[in-house]
Amino acid sequence: MFAYTVRRLLQMVPLLFAASVVIYTLLALQPGDPLDQLRQANPRITAEQLEALKRAYGLDQPIYVRYFKWLGRAVQGDLGLSRDYGISAAQFIFQQRLPYTLLLSGLALLISLAVAIPVGIFSAVRQYSTADYAITTLAFMGYSMPVFFLGILLLFLFAVWIPDHLPFFPRFPTGGVPGLLWSDVRSGNVGFLAFIGQWAWHLALPVLALSVIQIATYTRFMRASLLEVLNQDFVRTARAKGLSERLVLYKHALRNALIPIVTLVGLAIPGVLGGAVITETIFSWPGMGRAIFDSLVAKDYNVAMAALAFLAFLTALFNLIADLMYAVVDPRIRYT
Amino acid sequence: MLSAARPAPKSQSAWALAWRRFRKHRLAMSALVVVILLVLMAFLAPLLAPYDPTAQPTGGDLASFYFQGPSRAHWLGTDDLGRDVLSRIIYGSRISLLVGFTVALSAVVLGTILGTLAGYFSGRPLRFYLGPLAFAYEGWHPPLFALWRVISWVLFYAFLYFVARLSWILASDAVRAALGGSWTLSNAFSSLALLLVWALVALAAVWGLWGRLQLDLDIAISRLIDFMLTIPTLPLLLVLSALLRDPGVAVGRWAEALFGSAASVFIIITILVAFGWITIARLVRGVILSLREQEFTTAAQALGASEARVMFRHLVPNAIAPIIVQATLEVGNAILVEAALSFLGFGIQPPVATWGNMLTNAQEYIFSAPWLALAPGFMIFLTVLAFNYLGDGLRDALDPRSRL
Repeated sequence: MFAYTVRRLLQMVPLLFAASVVIYTLLALQPGDPLDQLRQANPRITAEQLEALKRAYGLDQPIYVRYFKWLGRAVQGDLGLSRDYGISAAQFIFQQRLPYTLLLSGLALLISLAVAIPVGIFSAVRQYSTADYAITTLAFMGYSMPVFFLGILLLFLFAVWIPDHLPFFPRFPTGGVPGLLWSDVRSGNVGFLAFIGQWAWHLALPVLALSVIQIATYTRFMRASLLEVLNQDFVRTARAKGLSERLVLYKHALRNALIPIVTLVGLAIPGVLGGAVITETIFSWPGMGRAIFDSLVAKDYNVAMAALAFLAFLTALFNLIADLMYAVVDPRIRYT
Repeated sequence: MLSAARPAPKSQSAWALAWRRFRKHRLAMSALVVVILLVLMAFLAPLLAPYDPTAQPTGGDLASFYFQGPSRAHWLGTDDLGRDVLSRIIYGSRISLLVGFTVALSAVVLGTILGTLAGYFSGRPLRFYLGPLAFAYEGWHPPLFALWRVISWVLFYAFLYFVARLSWILASDAVRAALGGSWTLSNAFSSLALLLVWALVALAAVWGLWGRLQLDLDIAISRLIDFMLTIPTLPLLLVLSALLRDPGVAVGRWAEALFGSAASVFIIITILVAFGWITIARLVRGVILSLREQEFTTAAQALGASEARVMFRHLVPNAIAPIIVQATLEVGNAILVEAALSFLGFGIQPPVATWGNMLTNAQEYIFSAPWLALAPGFMIFLTVLAFNYLGDGLRDALDPRSRL
């Protein structure tokens, strides 16, 4: 297992190298260079000054040289400056954006699992019942729901239409984060409950939008996985021994059926941290996804590069973790 | 009495059986009807649409044409430029279906070829590099390989030159400083690294003269898939779309000249295919890996069938059922991703009407004109749902053993 882990970690190096080369090249080839904005902001800038700036940013060199210089600095932890925010790209992403994404996407993932696993179990145990048909149909619809449409629909319903027509229905915020910070609570200006309430208020719609699709996916998966296990011989043996249905289900079947779910969740975590670009854009949530989108639009390439490289690293890492978790929860699997 | 009452069962082909099973899946049948209606809508768009999808009103009081609610003249209202939403929806179906079907078809072709090659040649490394002085051992030497052999020498030595030059560019400042007398730790380290890289390049150059290298296609393609799965898809799609759309880039210019205002459609299709083949290739590879061990493959090989014939005449047709299912799901997925990209403004550009870019501004007008968001969003949802149900029904019908 140890040798396997080390080998997989070593395999990650060329993979990440190739991924960062591709991402860097594509970003460097983007139309328009980072000096465009300076040129527009200051029409009196001279050609010599532009040349000097170009040299200062290293833009006069070919892309592959720039890449290796970037790589050399990146392995030392220097991801460059964000042009738009005036702070280091690492600080911007990890300190200012990652916490918001963790909150939003992490909460959505937890809620999805908390809903999907019981519902999936229920649906599998009552296979072909009316409730099962209703659940599978709903799951199918949720699975086909475009998140951008769902987000807009939720906004329309809970921020516009229902509050307009029902006099006492609360109007949900259309996006953004509350101004209350944890430091306000500590200094005693704001009560703890008011703080939680404000955040829950702003989180409700984006979390709902993110959860629906995940709930649908995990429910389908949980149901299929449990059905497969329930048809296996060891479950029949357990029943034949005279164990109660409860014991068969929760002790024998469910523990085996959860194994693929563990992998699925492990693979989903990079997506969670990467942030939902679309959801965060619709609800103006200042997280990673929106940071990536904004930096692409604003050509703030140090930020985009740092965020995308971080995501690639996470994906490779969690692929490995998912495989290792698989071996941990399922003793039948041995890696050599 | 029993035998007389019932005629002998008619023999039925596998497809007829599958069709019978499919017909029992009621939701899949309704999905099929929806898909057929959508295709008809796309084909008959000029007849069905009451207005030109891009026509803007002219006349005195322009503002009165904007944001009209649903009415008898405009069933779904008008948008922020006074264009008829229903007509735009009808014309938008053309783009969505075009993108969906083209992407699915191309991804299936590409994915099937790569997956088949990976599965069939797994564990049988192919000659990949043979140095100019290496002895070409006996065996099959197609002229194509002789050509590739020469090309590979050029590529190999060009690559070595590139590495040597790049390391010089990166280290030259430090080396000059070191030769000038400033022996700091980092300067010394850079000089050492440069020497090391050059030594490695020299070694590789010598090896290249006699060396021979075999490449397992399966490993190469599987690594490529791993790599594609590592890079974050949606952000990369945004980056690629912005890049290819730029008229300063050769592809963008070429697409602009060839397709005119619909160039972004072509670009989106290309990008989606570049990411769409992966699922199909992994699936096909798995199926081929198990099929190639079966007796009929051995029989075909023993009869002297060529590799290509075994692969594409004997193996691929047996993998067709899961491919069809995956292709159907891919249509829905491509439509979804296209809409998402267009929604973010990185997809198909106005004035071409698509369901995705109709939603782009809809969020701003959600308070005043909600119908602008509801109609296109619902169409995307309906279409994706129909293709997913169709794929589900096909899975049950074509492969009764597998049920998800």
